[in-house]
Amino acid sequence: MIYFTDGTKESFLTAFLAAYSDDEAYITSSQAQLALGQKSVFVGANPARAARAEQRLLSFDKDCIEELTMLLRSGEPEREQLAFGYLKFLSEERRPVRGMLAKSEVLAAQECLARVTREIHRLHGFVRFLECESGALYAPIVPKADICDLLVPHFQKRLQGIPFVLHDVPRKKAAVCDGKRCFAAPLEQAQIVLSASETQWQQLWRKYYQSVNLPSREKLKQIRGNMPVRYWRVLTELH
Amino acid sequence: MIDAKRLQILTEAARFDVSCSSSGSARKNAGGMGNGYAAGLCHSFTPDGRCVSLLKILMSNDCVFACKYCMNRCDLDVPRASATPEEIAELTTDFYKRNYIEGLFLSSAIVKSPNYTMELLLRTVKLLRQTYRFFGYIHVKGIPYADDGLVEEAARYADRMSFNIELPSEKSLKLLAPQKSKEGLLVPMRTLEKKREIFREERPKELFLPAGQTTQLIVGATPETDGAIVRLSERLYRGAKLKRVYYSSYLPMVHDSLLPDRPAGQLREHRLYQADWLLRFYGFTADEIAPEGENLPLDIDPKCAWALRNLQYFPVEVNRAPLELLLRVPGVGGRSADKILKAQRYTRLTFDDLKKMRVVLKRARHFLTADGKYYGAKDLQTVRGLLAVAEQSGTCEQLSLFDHATAYSALTGEF
Ligand code: SF4
Repeated sequence: MIYFTDGTKESFLTAFLAAYSDDEAYITSSQAQLALGQKSVFVGANPARAARAEQRLLSFDKDCIEELTMLLRSGEPEREQLAFGYLKFLSEERRPVRGMLAKSEVLAAQECLARVTREIHRLHGFVRFLECESGALYAPIVPKADICDLLVPHFQKRLQGIPFVLHDVPRKKAAVCDGKRCFAAPLEQAQIVLSASETQWQQLWRKYYQSVNLPSREKLKQIRGNMPVRYWRVLTELH
Repeated sequence: MIDAKRLQILTEAARFDVSCSSSGSARKNAGGMGNGYAAGLCHSFTPDGRCVSLLKILMSNDCVFACKYCMNRCDLDVPRASATPEEIAELTTDFYKRNYIEGLFLSSAIVKSPNYTMELLLRTVKLLRQTYRFFGYIHVKGIPYADDGLVEEAARYADRMSFNIELPSEKSLKLLAPQKSKEGLLVPMRTLEKKREIFREERPKELFLPAGQTTQLIVGATPETDGAIVRLSERLYRGAKLKRVYYSSYLPMVHDSLLPDRPAGQLREHRLYQADWLLRFYGFTADEIAPEGENLPLDIDPKCAWALRNLQYFPVEVNRAPLELLLRVPGVGGRSADKILKAQRYTRLTFDDLKKMRVVLKRARHFLTADGKYYGAKDLQTVRGLLAVAEQSGTCEQLSLFDHATAYSALTGEF
């Protein structure tokens, strides 16, 4: 049976209980998974049941709900199923299992978590702010995982007092820091007016990027590994 | 704002410094802009595969010295440029604000005199820290033969400093950089390190080069062997307590009868980084890595070469091996060793388990048993041949496997 969720943690935990004893269970929030002839059910969030499942899981491993949240943020098509496999195994073992890497469900979940952590780290470097007329900074980002808000503390520490916006363009939402408070907000399209010197700084940056390169040593394959193509769109130096 | 032309001259001349890392400092933002990121952070990668983390720039390329290998030497007719401390400070903070960079790597040719130059560098870092309230990463080059007092003052504002040795022996220095000497470079490094020690013990709250010192060696311009270079690095790590030694394979930029006309191979540089990694993280000594008068083999990595010379330690049983021994198995790096140690606690690992855990076995299988089973080749000749093949097909894959912790330098050589 396919269990469809609405993508939230509560809906997932409700589905987790419903699917627990079903050996053929497949949990997903993506309609694309629907195959003809397969039985399916939509499981909305049931707060009471979700809370019960959460308590039970926490009693086995106090960090597993944090892991679940990160898995669901990963943006990977198999995320719910991956979390299901991991948490089901955890419930059978009744103790933390994250070190049992020879078990495929554990390895898959841990690798997915590592990918999310890595993306957060990488984006700390691959964000490009544009300076607006008001002095505020605006950066469009295209992360694979839903991590816009998780990038905020890093920049908040650095930019003390300068207002900034991180705009997750595909997800149409933003993390906004007005210099004091930070909050999340839906954002379709940003209307910004650039500061007078913004274009000049961008040009100097492009010039710098070209100047430090050693043209005799092209290694494009390696670059794609270190700086995935999905981020290139917003990297000023590449345009 | 600095103009594009000068920016180009001053940064093109700085790119031969391969040190790119912004790691090792957790400086806090004390009410301004910026802070340290202890693990280091890459902001971009250039088409040559190198990480861009710092704004690398010279104060000036107008040198009074004449090191033969250098584009800035005084007897060459090349465009000259200089920037003011204000221009550098503005450029750094404006780049930093837009998240282009992690900080500044400030170097310079020797303008007028060593002291004059060191004073310029000092003025720039002071301006950044005090007036611009900039707390991001700053790496400042130490100018050889400048007064200790100036160098030490710069060290109070910088996160890292470096004196570049460039040529791995006194003889080569005499020949190619006649105004420099090995002692002239090593003495200030030692003095700084002593000072650092004193600060750490007596004034632990005050920062004094939190990210330590580094240096750079040019490989392939002069006849020193890898064995000699690895020994020099070992002394620099264990004696002078340097944080990193960078290797830069020689690229001819100026013609000189004393220098080779062709660039040195990058594979050699890569092998040196691998050997360096063995020194720093895997507990190897220079003696184990390469005999004094020899080069590292190019067809296999230095750990494989060591293992083949020391078959008495192998095969190692993964279920019993401690970390030090696992790290000596060819093809097993820090991350794989870590996975193995974690998983060992729950189950007796078989080869299948290792595969499932994505431990790369191409090389390792010749040196391991898992649950008593051995899947490697039977004799030494075959092993060496297979390792060389694994190496050829594996190099690219390996480089792209670098994770975030090491990606800031695809040059680091972890394997
Ligand atoms: S002192 Fe430095 S800049 Fe001057 S010629 Fe020598 S290497 Fe070049």
